[in-house]
Amino acid sequence: MRFDVALVLSYLPAIGWAAITTVGLWIVALVASIVIGLAIAVIRLHGGAIVNTVLRLLVEAIRGTPFLIQLFLLYFGGPFIGLTLERLPAGLLALSLFGGCYMSEVFRTGIRAVPRGHIEAAECVGLSQMQILRRILLPEMLVLVLPAGTNIAVGLIKETAVLSVIGVPELTAVISGIGSETYAFVEALTLLSLCYWALVEICARLGRTAEQRLSLYRFAA
Amino acid sequence: MRARLILALAATLSLGMAAAKADVLSDAKKAGELKIGTETEFAPFDYIDAGDHTGLNVDLFSEVGKELGLKITWVALPWDGVLPGLEASKFDMVAGPAIITKARLERYVFSTPIAEATVALLKKKGDNSVQKPEDIAGKTVGGGRASSQLAQLKTFAATLSPAPTVREYGGSNEAMADLAAGRVVGISQSLPNAAFAAKRRPDTFEVVMPPFGTKVYFGYILRKDANSASLVEAINGAIMKMKGDGRMAALQKKWFGLEFETPAAITDPAL
Amino acid sequence: MSWKLFTLLVQAAGATALFSAFAVVAGIALGLFVCGVALSRFRAAAGVARLYVSFFRGVPLLVQLLLVYHLLPVLGLNVSSATAALVALTLCTAAYQAENLRGAFLSVPNGLVEAADVVGMTPWQRFRRIEAPIALRLAIPALLNEAVAILHASALISVVGVIELTKTARDLAASTLEPLPLYAMAGALYLVMNMVLVYGGRLAERRFSVRTA
Repeated sequence: MRFDVALVLSYLPAIGWAAITTVGLWIVALVASIVIGLAIAVIRLHGGAIVNTVLRLLVEAIRGTPFLIQLFLLYFGGPFIGLTLERLPAGLLALSLFGGCYMSEVFRTGIRAVPRGHIEAAECVGLSQMQILRRILLPEMLVLVLPAGTNIAVGLIKETAVLSVIGVPELTAVISGIGSETYAFVEALTLLSLCYWALVEICARLGRTAEQRLSLYRFAA
Repeated sequence: MRARLILALAATLSLGMAAAKADVLSDAKKAGELKIGTETEFAPFDYIDAGDHTGLNVDLFSEVGKELGLKITWVALPWDGVLPGLEASKFDMVAGPAIITKARLERYVFSTPIAEATVALLKKKGDNSVQKPEDIAGKTVGGGRASSQLAQLKTFAATLSPAPTVREYGGSNEAMADLAAGRVVGISQSLPNAAFAAKRRPDTFEVVMPPFGTKVYFGYILRKDANSASLVEAINGAIMKMKGDGRMAALQKKWFGLEFETPAAITDPAL
Repeated sequence: MSWKLFTLLVQAAGATALFSAFAVVAGIALGLFVCGVALSRFRAAAGVARLYVSFFRGVPLLVQLLLVYHLLPVLGLNVSSATAALVALTLCTAAYQAENLRGAFLSVPNGLVEAADVVGMTPWQRFRRIEAPIALRLAIPALLNEAVAILHASALISVVGVIELTKTARDLAASTLEPLPLYAMAGALYLVMNMVLVYGGRLAERRFSVRTA
């Protein structure tokens, strides 16, 4: 066996598309996760007891089971309850829900860590609940949760690989497919790990830079 | 530092497998077991029925094991990992079986063929929009990743206008689930597999006749090196004996519902 | 779902629990070693440890499993499916555990370390009696999270041929053509194992919590 770089390189366009797919999946799922996570966190802090219990059960079910099982339930189980989604929307929905539940826990902790005094001060100067949420709670909380949020974001990049199991044409599916087509499986796997490693390192570094920049605005310990 | 480590990794890879191995058959005899890699999503050859690995391969190799005095150990992987696993010597041979093609013959040795493998479409029962293979034009179809059945489907799809969308699946279980769910209108399978699926689930699946592929055969795969030569001979000897004494015909009857002749060897496949 | 399918799933959950438990224990041991190297004075060794952590945290486990299974033979080490799965799970979790432990060791209060030096403890005594006990206790919540993550990650080990809960559910779903109850039951079994881990962890946390750190 030899390390046939040239062979792998001839598949560069296909690999490029797969990389774009992976990054695209990740960005869309990440944005959706943040939105879902924020919604769950805020509703759980301000909603009634029943809503809170329902959401808590949802979050615990998602955080308590492997992503692969959730994906299978949605994709293969869905059609039996009248929910037949294509691979891409099914993958994105599962990934966003998964990320959103993890994000919601981080946001909840973050919101609780915002000093009481800041909120009381805002109430004193006459800000409404909505204004407090938008101007005090969320911005302060976002700075606080950046490190934990970055971890989840990085985790989501790697979770996109699981979508290869239902055949979403992302990096893992495409590169391992090329690997078995050309009998260069080991080369393909090596390339695949380098791709993910680079993506994850870039994302983690961006997160750290943002953390340093924003540490100026970190009010609470 | 990192660049140097990657270089070192690449260098180690390029060194490759230097270590010479002893004869595969005598090693297996010494250990008392023959390790066979396969995919357990390939009914009626290998599949899981209510938790048990069963199929024609299990029956056939239990006979082969008796002939050679070896216990059979199965290693089940997703299909796209099976041939790489064979090359990495994870097991002594591959069951599958796989379609005997020119490209594969260049790289591997095939056993004597054990069944016809001509590729056909499996469709959802009662889907009137697909009456013949050409009806898939403009629709979505699927096949298993790294399979010849998929490659043949792609070739066939390219002759149609508008060209159908071809999806790749990690295993045929997932492809069949998608067919049942209506996400694809057809999946490419060899006739024995498609016929078995339609027989097992008459309310769900149906074979689209005639097959769209050319006439090809299924065989088991072995490594093409000197160390495997004696194993190839032993396996072929055992299977040929079964073809001669009616055990093969009985297995075909049991798993395919009919008996048919298979040539002793395929040297110049149609594909 | 029939009783037979249920017992098959429960048996498979046993395999999942076994593989995860082994990986978690071996991973903590290896993680402790990697953490020690990363915190050591030898800069080259610390660099290698950091590279190790970065790689195994940067590559999806699915890819790591395939790498261990298919790449090791090229390097002359042919391992079985079960070994490959255990090695990959352990290597991966060790990288996370090393980071968790590193964080814990760095948050051992400096005053305690200095006090240990002042009363004349040797570095080994200081490590064994002060730093290690405090750091391990501080790390319990993170170690638990990682144990849960490994339990979930083990759902992927069937790509190298190990039959566990998720793979069993897939196989049974294929033979019954009823994916919904099977995946739901598999999910429920994961939840049960998850709860056992979390409650056990909370007990341990309460029992060993650092009262005045």
